[in-house]
Amino acid sequence: MVPPISSKKSIEDLENQLLKKNKVLNEKYLELETLLDLTNTINSLDDLEKLFFNVLTLSSSIIDSSKGVVLIKNDVSNIFDITSSFNIEEEKIKKQIFNTRSGFLNKLNKDKKSYIVGRKDDFNHELFDSKKALINPILNNNKLVGAIILFDKETRDGIKNFEKNDLKLLEAISIQTSIAYQNIKLLESLKKSNKLNENIMSSITTGIVEINLFGEIEFVNKEALRLLNKNEIDVIGNHYFIIFEKNNLLIDLIQKVEFEQKRIFESEFNLKSKSKKTSVNLSCSPVFDEGKSFSGIVIAMDDLSKINKVKSTFKKYVSKNIVDKLLENENSLNLGGEESEITILFSDIRGFTSMSEKLSPTQIVNLLNKYFQSMIDVVFKFNGTLDKIVGDELMVLYGVPLKNENDTENAVNTAIEMFKSLDKFNSKIVKDGFEPFKIGIGINKGKAVSGNIGSEQQMNYTVIGDTINLGARLCSHAKSGEILISKSVKSVLTNDYKFKEISPIEVKGKSKPIDVWIYQHK
Amino acid sequence: MSDAIKNVEEKNGVIIISTTGYFNNLAGDAVLEVFNEKMESGSTKFLIDMNDSKVVNSIGVSILIEIIEKLQVVNGVMAFTNLAGIVEKTFNIMGITKYCEVYDSVDSALEKIS
Repeated sequence: MVPPISSKKSIEDLENQLLKKNKVLNEKYLELETLLDLTNTINSLDDLEKLFFNVLTLSSSIIDSSKGVVLIKNDVSNIFDITSSFNIEEEKIKKQIFNTRSGFLNKLNKDKKSYIVGRKDDFNHELFDSKKALINPILNNNKLVGAIILFDKETRDGIKNFEKNDLKLLEAISIQTSIAYQNIKLLESLKKSNKLNENIMSSITTGIVEINLFGEIEFVNKEALRLLNKNEIDVIGNHYFIIFEKNNLLIDLIQKVEFEQKRIFESEFNLKSKSKKTSVNLSCSPVFDEGKSFSGIVIAMDDLSKINKVKSTFKKYVSKNIVDKLLENENSLNLGGEESEITILFSDIRGFTSMSEKLSPTQIVNLLNKYFQSMIDVVFKFNGTLDKIVGDELMVLYGVPLKNENDTENAVNTAIEMFKSLDKFNSKIVKDGFEPFKIGIGINKGKAVSGNIGSEQQMNYTVIGDTINLGARLCSHAKSGEILISKSVKSVLTNDYKFKEISPIEVKGKSKPIDVWIYQHK
Repeated sequence: MSDAIKNVEEKNGVIIISTTGYFNNLAGDAVLEVFNEKMESGSTKFLIDMNDSKVVNSIGVSILIEIIEKLQVVNGVMAFTNLAGIVEKTFNIMGITKYCEVYDSVDSALEKIS
């Protein structure tokens, strides 16, 4: 049966209504799908420009805006730069400065809320060649870091203003964008820290090896590879049992740390590699994660071979104390040539030539070696620096290369103790049938130039100047058992040490006689 | 010709309209203008190449629906090619793809519709 006309009309109306509803539902479905796409897309991006371009295109598409722009705050200048634009002529706007002092960014910074630009709002539509605008904040920890602006909602009848629904939709997009922005920023900062960490690790002179919970090497720096004589590719991902197969002691240490979860330090540890052994200071420390659970081990290795080389070379000339102090503080060491206040001590053996005539060369060398050893022990005891031994003469410096408050006192104490030590030395050699050694000592204090002096082929650390010459002259005037000191030495002594002033002496190179004080060993 | 239209050509009796940029109100109107002109000259087969249009909005889509409706009256054919993923998804949701075919390339489209 054919329905009556009125019924036909109601069916047509119903059909039209259904079509309209269907269209609205489809549009809502599209919105949801686009939002979902946007969420998936922006969460997988690690580049801010790509992120904002995707946000702009998808939000323009879904909201039917004709164009859009994203402004992001420059961390340095606080100006909001155009980071992305869509369907807009950037040439027109790129010279415009956007900041929060005025205009729409000022409002956005205060309210931190999306808004549809109204008639009363301060917005330069001319600049963007627009009629309507929808503005959204991008926030990071509730601080304004950017804005998404969409312009001119399109319809078949021309441009119309944005609606509440558009505002809600863009707010949802903006929240997602803010989260993605924070994630990208965090990722950038993490990459920066990692890069910095890598740079530090590759430049430090300590070898670092990081072992994970499974005993696999997770990180190794350049110095550690050098010490282990291995390539990174052979080390990373391998178990420490394999990497340290030649170092059973180290494997034991790692296992001990795994078990006890306490740091272990081993000094002068012999690290074995393919072709060599290296002495290292080694520390093996447990690593704990944020939950304070054991998560691996870090091994730090300091190569001692270079330090030992310096130590063994220096120890021939200076006391262990000075070597250690110099190594602790490299800045205290000046080998470049510098005028400074020093105290110098000379000692030599009286009558050595006539004594040596009675002895064989071997006996002379043996006796001299024993004599110098006992004298140098005293020198080092009082932090003197042995400058040189010339024949039977000792030249000792105080105040260079490392300055001490009591350098002059130390020189005098050295001299006095040298006589005591000589007594012991003599009592031994007399028993062996040799004549006792007799020495005289001269000490002076004053300015001298110190540094590495010599030619490229041979260079020695020494001192030069008038102070040195006078010290040598005082020594040559001192008779057996005597210490002669100059006025500059006497004036700084806090103890009189039983020094007595004697008649001034004339020395070569000085026009006037020199004031001298004398100490006589018993 | 509008900036949104990159090229218009006829191949094997099919009018190929290549668009560029944002497929919005302006681009839709530009395509509609070309369509009207060609339809008046008797063309009934159209292929829209959207290789350079990666973003569409609902106004652009509604213009396309308008064109499809006009073609249905004359038993004409409308097809699309080189659609970006997001554009194809939009066309599916908006129902366009129920009434016209989508092809991977111009050649495969011409093979089918010419």
